[in-house]
Amino acid sequence: MSHSTGAVARALNALSNLCLLASSCSLVLLVVVFGWLVFGRYVLNVTPTWVEQLSLLLVGYITFVGSATVVHEDSHLGVTLFRDMLGSPGREIATALADFILAGFGLVMAFACIDLMQFGWSTKLPMLNVPESLRTLPAFLCGAFTFVFAGARGGRQILLLLSSSDTHENRSL
Amino acid sequence: MGLAILLGIFSGCLFLGVPVAFAMGIAAASAFFYEGFPLLITFQRTISGISVFSLLAIPFFVFAGEIMLHGGIAARLVRFASTLVGHARGGLASVNIFSSMLFGGISGSAVADISALGSLLIPVMKEKGYSGDYAVNVTVTSSIAGIVIPPSHNMIIFAVAAGGGISISKLFLAGVVPGILMCVCLAIAAYAVAIKRKYPAEPFPGWRAVVVAGAAAIPGLITAVIIVGGVLSGIFTVTESGAFGAIYALLLTVFAYRSLSWRAFVTAVTSAVRTTSMVMILIGFASAFAYLLALYQVPTLLTNLLVTISDNPIIILLMINVMLLMLGMIMDMAALILICTPIFLPIAREIGMDPIQFGIMMLVNLGLGLCTPPVGSCLFVGCAVGKVKIEQALKTIWPFYLALLMALLLVTYVPAISLTLPALFD
Amino acid sequence: ADWRGWNIHVEDYPVSHGMEQFMAEVSEKTEGRIAGKVYHAGVLGSQPDAIEQVRLGIINFGVFSLGPMGQAVPEANVVSLPFIFKSVDQMYRLMDGDAGAAIDAGLQKKGIVALGWYDAGARSFYNSRQPINTPADVEGLKVRVMNNDLFVGMIESLGGNATPMAFAEVYQSLKTGVVDGAENNPPSYESTNHYEVAKYYSISEHLIIPECLCMSKKTFDSLSEEDQAIVLAAGKASAELERQLWGEREKKSMETVLAGGTQVNQIADKAPFQAAMAPVYDKFLAENPDLTDLVNLIRNAD
Ligand code: NA
Ligand code: NA
Repeated sequence: MSHSTGAVARALNALSNLCLLASSCSLVLLVVVFGWLVFGRYVLNVTPTWVEQLSLLLVGYITFVGSATVVHEDSHLGVTLFRDMLGSPGREIATALADFILAGFGLVMAFACIDLMQFGWSTKLPMLNVPESLRTLPAFLCGAFTFVFAGARGGRQILLLLSSSDTHENRSL
Repeated sequence: MGLAILLGIFSGCLFLGVPVAFAMGIAAASAFFYEGFPLLITFQRTISGISVFSLLAIPFFVFAGEIMLHGGIAARLVRFASTLVGHARGGLASVNIFSSMLFGGISGSAVADISALGSLLIPVMKEKGYSGDYAVNVTVTSSIAGIVIPPSHNMIIFAVAAGGGISISKLFLAGVVPGILMCVCLAIAAYAVAIKRKYPAEPFPGWRAVVVAGAAAIPGLITAVIIVGGVLSGIFTVTESGAFGAIYALLLTVFAYRSLSWRAFVTAVTSAVRTTSMVMILIGFASAFAYLLALYQVPTLLTNLLVTISDNPIIILLMINVMLLMLGMIMDMAALILICTPIFLPIAREIGMDPIQFGIMMLVNLGLGLCTPPVGSCLFVGCAVGKVKIEQALKTIWPFYLALLMALLLVTYVPAISLTLPALFD
Repeated sequence: ADWRGWNIHVEDYPVSHGMEQFMAEVSEKTEGRIAGKVYHAGVLGSQPDAIEQVRLGIINFGVFSLGPMGQAVPEANVVSLPFIFKSVDQMYRLMDGDAGAAIDAGLQKKGIVALGWYDAGARSFYNSRQPINTPADVEGLKVRVMNNDLFVGMIESLGGNATPMAFAEVYQSLKTGVVDGAENNPPSYESTNHYEVAKYYSISEHLIIPECLCMSKKTFDSLSEEDQAIVLAAGKASAELERQLWGEREKKSMETVLAGGTQVNQIADKAPFQAAMAPVYDKFLAENPDLTDLVNLIRNAD
């Protein structure tokens, strides 16, 4: 692997870890605020009114930002059985194609979420009084990161396929 | 035409190996595009699909399960089960099944169950002279019972997919007897195989050892009592119970057991985040997908089709089960719950089946799919943990499939198995 | 054209019949140039989503509560001010007149045209402790409210303990005492079986929030003037049908809960409750100064 692709891989790993850190913090925060709700409701007898809406917001960040990491780690639930039945290089091409489709969808998602964020700017989330766009932000991030992670993996797959095709053919024939 | 695009693109993406969640999103976006809708509606549906209050219980259940797994609660439960039921013939198999009932009852996740219990039990079973394929088969199939025994986040997914109006506490109650029934069927199968293969029995360690192991395990078991008891008594809502259970497990493992290191905590949190985001994004995109299924009136079309084939409820239920089993072979549980509930539930209602019973039937059925190839995450994890080849495990798994099928048939055709307990508590 | 209509209620509900009649009348009067289907039971998504989809013209019409619409349209929030209407009849009069026109203007700025105002009843307090006659009876009571600052403010101004909570969890919470009470209109109080676990229904009618038969402005603007007139007339006619059906439904629900042993009491003097709302109004007007005229128009009407 050349120097530059190593640097790209490190950068992608760092980005993915950053996503994981952010969503992990959201999860811990979720447990803490909900613990506060239970404590308030049953011990203090006063329900904090903002917890429900904040929790829903946090779940959005855990889901979408965490999902970007899972895209990078390539461990979303999927059916790889059919493409695994194809021989080489069909399997590699299908894998790269799947990644490119995923990346394209990520791009569409990111742009659509920008529209959605602009649209929801004047609408306020109840009880929190923040723009509804904050609920859309993690979905935008998910789209953008999915584009980056899946696109990079697809690209690398194609590069590998191209660079190995001649040596591979020589060896197998 | 729109429906053809929706289903065609979905299957095309699945074929190429695009993750199921995104395949649903891509298919939904394409169909919206074809219908001349703005694309952003796909993502609006996705975002509001996960902003559902009852779904908050999922991260809490998953987090509680991970803490129990990495904080030493699971290990204490296994030790307890082993002193209690280990002395029967093929006793370690019973230990395995009994542990799944206790632990799967808490984590609510079959895969977590297998990686936790499998890595504890499979090596011990091999050491005592059980063959690897048997150990894996017992572990994998018994973990399915954990899906039905409350708490179970798949029940929450079902309740949400059913469009609300289904009580989660009733679902929890309804799962108890079918879960135990599955364990009994599996224990019979495991016993029969153990006799045939002349597997050993453990010596009984004495009541003193049972009490000691029990005392160590009971504080951990209280996590399940909190979650299930909170929901059933109605003192807590499902979400509150989940949060309280997670916090209890955390405090217990940090301060009482002192068995949760910082590193183990980080592992628990990050793996809970991964599971949560995988499940939740599936729920989100499935909600965009389901919107289109409703728009194209797929449930009505399919009901009409099935009713023209037969108007006998027994046959219709059999057809639904066969379809679910086939789908379960190639897809994972949460996705299928989300896709199939809006389609099949109206049919079940039409023929007079209680939605609660239908939910339990569906969970048992799709659970079976988790341990069938070619897509069976539980089977794969089990084989990986047990270091056994999938082909090897498959050769001897049929008695266990038979046991689960038996349980599925009983749950399908005997409503009382699911519905007696919820009715008692009403 | 093939219209899509959004409705959260099941097929047999006053709102649903109103919408069906609207669609049928439009089809008939336009001699089939416009057809459409009403999707009941919320199959086309949640209310906030559907509101956005109407704004985008994806869904052509729908019936929405003005409560949640307030998150996007400030003018709509005015009717969520507690005790702003004195009675349901007064609400009809004002909504069919200047107040309705002002709210419609606000909706139009966000891409929605109001075709008619449906009745969704008046919400009153119910609880498991005691009948409510004065604000002091609310003091210390844990009351479930919808997720909205105004409703939280209302309960807090009365000295109660406001508890926003998902609707599905209310029954269980009333039963176990997690909350002491909630507030809703008689049909909801009856159909959710809340009357089994909260026996005291006190007619405060603190919220009379109408629902709006709304049309996407995109759809409306695409119509000829002649068709627009047909649509507006059909909207008004469907509102009349819905109000009549709603009245019947409310009466039936009241009979059911009374037969079930509920104690219903009329609050004789609402003035102290209204006076207690001053901080809620002050805060609202400080945040929305340009709505002062509209608030006063309704508040000062008799
Ligand atoms: Na479980
Ligand atoms: Na399978």
